Amino acid sequence: MSTVGIIVNPNAGKDIRRLVTPATHTSDVTKVGIVRRAIVAATESGAERILLAPDRHRLAERAADGLDAPIQIVDEPITGSRYDTIAAARRFWKEQVGAIVALGGDGTSRDVALGWPDSPLVAVSTGTNNVFPSAIDGTSAGAAAGFVATGAVALDEVGRRSKRILVRIDDADSSVDDVALVDLAFVDTDFIGARAVRDPHTVSRVVAAIATPTSTGLSSIAGRLHPVDRHAPGGVLVEMGAGERSIRVPLAPGSFTTMSIADVRSLADGEEIVFTGRTILAFDGERDRTVGDDGRVAIRIDSGGPILIDVDRTLQLAAERRLFDPPTKTSDHGDVHGH
Amino acid sequence: MNISPEVQFDLHRRMVRIRLFEEAAGRLAEAAKLPGFLHLYVGEEAVAAGVCAALNDDDHITSTHRGHGHLVAKGGDLNRMMAELMGKSTGYCKGKGGSMHISDLSLGMLGANGIVGAGSPIAVGAAFANRYRKKGQVAVAFFGDGATNIGAFHEAANMACALHLPIVFACENNEYGEFTPRDQTMAITDIVDRAAGYGMPGVIVDGMDAIAVHEATLEAVERARAGGGPSLIEAKTYRFYNHHGVQNLGLKYRSDDEVARWKERDPIFTLEDRMIENKVATRQQFDDIWADWRAAIDRAIQFAEESPLPTPDQVLVDVYTTGGAR
Amino acid sequence: MSEERKLAYVMAFNEAVSQAMEADPDVFCAGEDIGAFGGVFGTFGGLQAKFGTDRVVDTPISEQAIVGLGVGAAATGLRPIVDLMFMDFICVAMDQIVNQAAKLKYMFGGEATLPLTITTAGGGGLSAAAQHSQSLEAILCHIPGLKVVYPSTPYDMKGLMMACIQEDNPTVMVKHKRLLGMSGHVPVEPYSIPLGTANVVRPGRDVTIVAYGRMVHESVAAAEKLAADGIECEIIDPRTLQPLDTDTIVASARRTNRVLVVHEAVRFGGLGAEIAAQIQEAAFDHLDAPVGRIGAPFSPVPFSPALEQHYIPSSAAIEAGVREAMFRNKVGA
Repeated sequence: MSTVGIIVNPNAGKDIRRLVTPATHTSDVTKVGIVRRAIVAATESGAERILLAPDRHRLAERAADGLDAPIQIVDEPITGSRYDTIAAARRFWKEQVGAIVALGGDGTSRDVALGWPDSPLVAVSTGTNNVFPSAIDGTSAGAAAGFVATGAVALDEVGRRSKRILVRIDDADSSVDDVALVDLAFVDTDFIGARAVRDPHTVSRVVAAIATPTSTGLSSIAGRLHPVDRHAPGGVLVEMGAGERSIRVPLAPGSFTTMSIADVRSLADGEEIVFTGRTILAFDGERDRTVGDDGRVAIRIDSGGPILIDVDRTLQLAAERRLFDPPTKTSDHGDVHGH
Repeated sequence: MNISPEVQFDLHRRMVRIRLFEEAAGRLAEAAKLPGFLHLYVGEEAVAAGVCAALNDDDHITSTHRGHGHLVAKGGDLNRMMAELMGKSTGYCKGKGGSMHISDLSLGMLGANGIVGAGSPIAVGAAFANRYRKKGQVAVAFFGDGATNIGAFHEAANMACALHLPIVFACENNEYGEFTPRDQTMAITDIVDRAAGYGMPGVIVDGMDAIAVHEATLEAVERARAGGGPSLIEAKTYRFYNHHGVQNLGLKYRSDDEVARWKERDPIFTLEDRMIENKVATRQQFDDIWADWRAAIDRAIQFAEESPLPTPDQVLVDVYTTGGAR
Repeated sequence: MSEERKLAYVMAFNEAVSQAMEADPDVFCAGEDIGAFGGVFGTFGGLQAKFGTDRVVDTPISEQAIVGLGVGAAATGLRPIVDLMFMDFICVAMDQIVNQAAKLKYMFGGEATLPLTITTAGGGGLSAAAQHSQSLEAILCHIPGLKVVYPSTPYDMKGLMMACIQEDNPTVMVKHKRLLGMSGHVPVEPYSIPLGTANVVRPGRDVTIVAYGRMVHESVAAAEKLAADGIECEIIDPRTLQPLDTDTIVASARRTNRVLVVHEAVRFGGLGAEIAAQIQEAAFDHLDAPVGRIGAPFSPVPFSPALEQHYIPSSAAIEAGVREAMFRNKVGA
């Protein structure tokens, strides 16, 4: 059965970066609207089943309310944390979902990748830093996901593997694997605290897999020194500190700061780099893991990330294949508005 | 920004003071030694501490019916606080206000408030006066999730933004308006979703993490002092005890599981663990801090118990500054 | 020369505010439409041009926040004047007036000082109907911590408004809408009339009329007619309703032995009931007649001029009330 899965991260787009930068606030009402549009469009494109991930804000329920669509909210425990996204992605894998629409920022896409590394993904930006996801309307996102899920447009035609930054953290007691999709930063603070990396002076090192001059956030440092496209293999390592170069970067959207650069170098696909000692790791812009004095961090960039669906290309192919025509000339399809 | 060890200890001490004061008050209430209502702040300490540590003594705050924590965090005198809770003449309000009106204008604490939402318009007034005087002071309005359902909050938020005042709206979202879950009283989940409607930024922080609250408040306060206007911080937090009092009194409006889950994230213990992990502090240091403040609370109780009750002639004192009816 | 100077009631208000603002940089005004527009009754006309937008502030239509702005600013050291366009709108701001402004000082053990003036426009006579015509002063007088002022002449307006601004307690200044254009003697120089002092508007030996606001003028008209019949009314305008100058009223009652209290507010539970009660407590043995009360009937203020002119107490009603007190028609009949 052709299935589209939709994940909406209720926590995306609301952190402290809004206080001192003009980062977008994405309200729950906005998110519900996007999901609603995606549901209607995916159904219109022929998806036979729409699975929604549950969330603590009940955004999925609100989006589904009153819609005439084959919607099912999957039964997963809700924690109110990023683990809800990870669990939903894993569940969608088990349910053989044909395409996921995920609403959030870079952090949300990362969580999808953790739950389902090979996920066929339409990433819709509703976060703070949105290097990985794109600003796509829910209608287009849902339509494209629907066509891919039904096979009317094959995933091979429009999907491309994205890169990921694989991180293994070892210390005396434990060994943890984690993933970033855009950037990994070493931050010299004592606390995860409010998560966002705000103070440029605390950033000592950035590993970026996607770093274009149009990036915002930590990956903008590499993006303005040594651009790496999302499809080019490998990445960049930037070491901060006194050096011959400094650079102006938008560390948060609409907020520029000067960073001193000690060293920049390319990282080849699969090349492992290792660092030791105490730090806090920020994954895709958010402080998330503490590493102790005896900690060891091994990092490698590969191309095992989600299969990102090109929405423009999908809808273009759909048009060429006359997929927008009603099924038969005489069929009486009424208007669908989804409000 | 990295929060220095001094500030880490400062946050910790403010939280410990609140916790010990509130638990002592709770025990006294259980022993029927405190008259009136008692709304305890236990569980939400990271919010008051994180916010107030980002303020100067001449910055203003308005508080709520759950206001002890705000006064303790702003530097309130524990003796005068405890005496007020007991209705003694040596109390902050000379026994005329009690728990719900505890205040210290010399510390910029413009009063706990028995009316939900009423503090925010007053904070707007303080913020207006602060800008008027041009001395760089800011005002913070503390309020709960429930207060955002009352008109006064909306009027205050809108006016603060319309007048571009130096104010921070600090929402303690503890998920319950008295005994009713938040999701039954509003169709949104995050209070910050309201902020854009007034034209100010709103951010969410973990209200069980004093460092996170403090980081956010530093930015909001800096923004306000620099003329950047109002902002709203929503701290997701939880009260460990009931709406009022200490015991659950068999009121099953919250599941034991839910309470236990939040208690696992106790704001004081999680900070202690992290500071020890970071080798900023030792267990012994924390033990000493708890012991010191326990002794201070004991002294406050003794001071309060030994203090005289107000005499009946005080009923008519301080109704007016000058003049007034007979 | 200032003896000669005449000024309208509304401009007497305006001049008091202006002179107070000149004298004290901590005085500011805030309210709806008071800035560039000058207030819907012109009460704040020209003040923003003179003192700037920082000191004469246009606010949103938010009565709770307007009073809250005043409470917070007063508690932190300024001397605010906040305007509620119509007296009816105090109901919107009741929490801030009653639970906050009036009580902060007491609840805080005397630590707070609230030099706050709330100005508003009361009374009927403009066919403004039930939500823009009320006389709600009794509600305010019932609240410990508030002072309530209700001037009846341009002279009193300036002096009382000045006193309100200088007062270290929250004060409600009620302007009567029908008196705004009334002209009268007002000295140019600043002066204040102490709150809580009544004015003997007209001395008389036969009956005491206690009236305030526009009813003072209706009472004067009645008194002039009664004088033609040899009945001399003493008219007392308390000017400040809270605190009330009971001494002056009682002294007069003891002399005339008959009292009629007149107000525009409805009779039931009105200020007249309080005044009558105080008179009987303090001068029972001096009374030759029950203390009479003239007030509006117990209904909302009606819209149609035909109804409203019947509703608002008139000089004819006051005259009849005095005659009843004098001759006790009903009792003797």
